[in-house]
Amino acid sequence: MRIGFPHFGNVYIALKAVARRLESSGDALITPPPMTQHTLDLGVKYSPAEACVPYKLTLGSLIEACDLGADTLIQARGTGICRLGYYAKGQEQMLRDLNYAAHFLTVDISHHKLIGIMRLMKDVTHNRTWHEIISSFFFAIGKLSALDKIEKVVHKIRAVELEKGTASRIYRKAITSIDEAMTGKEVKELTKEYIDKLSRVPKDITAEPLKVGIIGEIYVVIEPFANMDIEIELGKLGIEVERTLTLSRWVKYSLFLNYLGLDEWRKVHKLAHAYLDHDIGGDGWESVGEKVLYARNGFDGIIHLAPFTCMPEIVAENIMPSTKEDIPVLAVICDEQQSKQGMLTRLEAFTDLISFRRRRGEHGRRV
Amino acid sequence: MITVGIPRALLYYQYYPMWKVFLEKLGAEVVVSSPTNKSILNSGVSRGVQDICLPVKVFFGHVVSLADKCDFMFIPTVTSLGKKSYNCSKLIGLPNMARALIPECPPILAPEINYEKGRYNLYRNIYVVGRHFTCNPFKLKKAVEEAWASNLDYRNKMSDEGITPFQAIDCKPPPDVKSSSLTIAVIGHPYIIYDEYISHRLIPWLQKMEVKVVTPEMVSQEELDAATRRLVGVPHWSFEPEIIGAGEYYLETGVDGIIIVAAFGCGPDSMMLGMVQHRTKEFEIPLLPLSLDEHSSEGGLLTRLEAFLDMVKRRKRVCV
Repeated sequence: MRIGFPHFGNVYIALKAVARRLESSGDALITPPPMTQHTLDLGVKYSPAEACVPYKLTLGSLIEACDLGADTLIQARGTGICRLGYYAKGQEQMLRDLNYAAHFLTVDISHHKLIGIMRLMKDVTHNRTWHEIISSFFFAIGKLSALDKIEKVVHKIRAVELEKGTASRIYRKAITSIDEAMTGKEVKELTKEYIDKLSRVPKDITAEPLKVGIIGEIYVVIEPFANMDIEIELGKLGIEVERTLTLSRWVKYSLFLNYLGLDEWRKVHKLAHAYLDHDIGGDGWESVGEKVLYARNGFDGIIHLAPFTCMPEIVAENIMPSTKEDIPVLAVICDEQQSKQGMLTRLEAFTDLISFRRRRGEHGRRV
Repeated sequence: MITVGIPRALLYYQYYPMWKVFLEKLGAEVVVSSPTNKSILNSGVSRGVQDICLPVKVFFGHVVSLADKCDFMFIPTVTSLGKKSYNCSKLIGLPNMARALIPECPPILAPEINYEKGRYNLYRNIYVVGRHFTCNPFKLKKAVEEAWASNLDYRNKMSDEGITPFQAIDCKPPPDVKSSSLTIAVIGHPYIIYDEYISHRLIPWLQKMEVKVVTPEMVSQEELDAATRRLVGVPHWSFEPEIIGAGEYYLETGVDGIIIVAAFGCGPDSMMLGMVQHRTKEFEIPLLPLSLDEHSSEGGLLTRLEAFLDMVKRRKRVCV
């Protein structure tokens, strides 16, 4: 069995970690090549015209995996969560039309998530022992949270580093070495080492960087290709970025803590309550709440990322301007038509706006 | 007497008779906005933020036009109508968007209809709405029962007699279509195909061209559900039967052509119509996909319709 999967942030590192522990002869995990314009073009070519960009990108990525010889593909499914539940149905049909003999394994990410993932792992590894499966699963989660931990520091350093690009370079190195790490202990040591390295990057200590929160649809927020490395570009403009949506957080809560009755979004939902009092699917409810949260936490601005025609985010986008909390929001709509230059111009203008607001605020004339 | 406004858009076309009976039995006066026109569309477009789809913009226009004519606005939150199937996010967030975008809107009655949350939740939500009109739970219960009966009546009337919602609501006789040889299925959400302003009088035009038009509403719910199950299994969206189910049903029963009408930027449609399109290829039945937004024009539509009908007619002559 040769298993392929679509790219989504650092998910490939977790899957590779599992594969390294559980791979038996004859089986292999096919990692599709990193996303490029080619992936997007493939996706656009074979998707319905008005499908959202995560659909197109994942389809492109799956096609690339099939080209490398994958015969089993992993894709998410679910109910009550926007179009995502439909991805597997549409993509399976499209791949069949393209004469790829690929079999789809779907992971339900709305109900019984943990059990579903465990069952899937048990099936594809030909009944390895539960001990092996669970230990490799935690090893993979360890890698994801290590990377998210490092990235959090990177976000802070990028804004104030003297030589632009140093932090990103260290982060890229961290990704490769954590990917190659073989034991949990090694991962922990590497995390420490890289955080240490990052703290030694020469910084402008007098700078007080502007702070921007990133909210929106999970795929375009987490996958750097989909949002055209918006976090790096913001770092170059000297802006500190913060985002709550990370893979490790999703795993931690959705797979474990939610079953114990802990809801990571409780506070955010409560803040959104005055404007939107129930779930609308996707990440729409969270986006509205996070806007309020970031405004209250004294952030300078918010960047709202959404795929074109994303239903939950459109609802959020419509509701957000009416909130009492006054904070500039830049909506960046991601699709195959977007260009990096266009986005940069908008980011620069947005930076001017929020820095002007901050200066005015310091003189006590904030409106 | 309390007046309650019902915007003539979105779910109006499916549930108006039910809502009307429910509210009138509770002693309210029902006001419906006038059919969509240019000023309604413009006021809706100016309120919404960029990329919402046309029907939702039109909906906001209707809410604006009703804002000063009623004491309450009736915008139910229809979240889920079946096991594990949900509505589009825009329909679920409709009352909240209306509240945010139209500040002058009177208080909104927004009972949440959510199958997944169970019976008790549904009863409670209806009761909360009913309390605005009556304190008597028996009166409320009676109103609900009568409303539900009228809904079933309305649905059956459309499927039994093969008529459109307009004809069923206004009790108009169906227009005399000369016995024609062509049957075309028009597939799409009722709020697009029956809104004559959005769809540029698509159905009347087709009837004028001596075509027998069939729509999803003319098939009974059971048959739609069965057709959906045959093709995709458990529906993911509550309105999946009326698109995929109707498409599959008409393909199987045999029509001369299919026109699918979607609003530009409609998320669920972008996925579902792909499925219908795929099936039409297998059945080798001509298909005309129409994507409508506020910039589409009647002239352009007519040209495409005529070309499509010519093609269907010629194909029929050649094949038979």
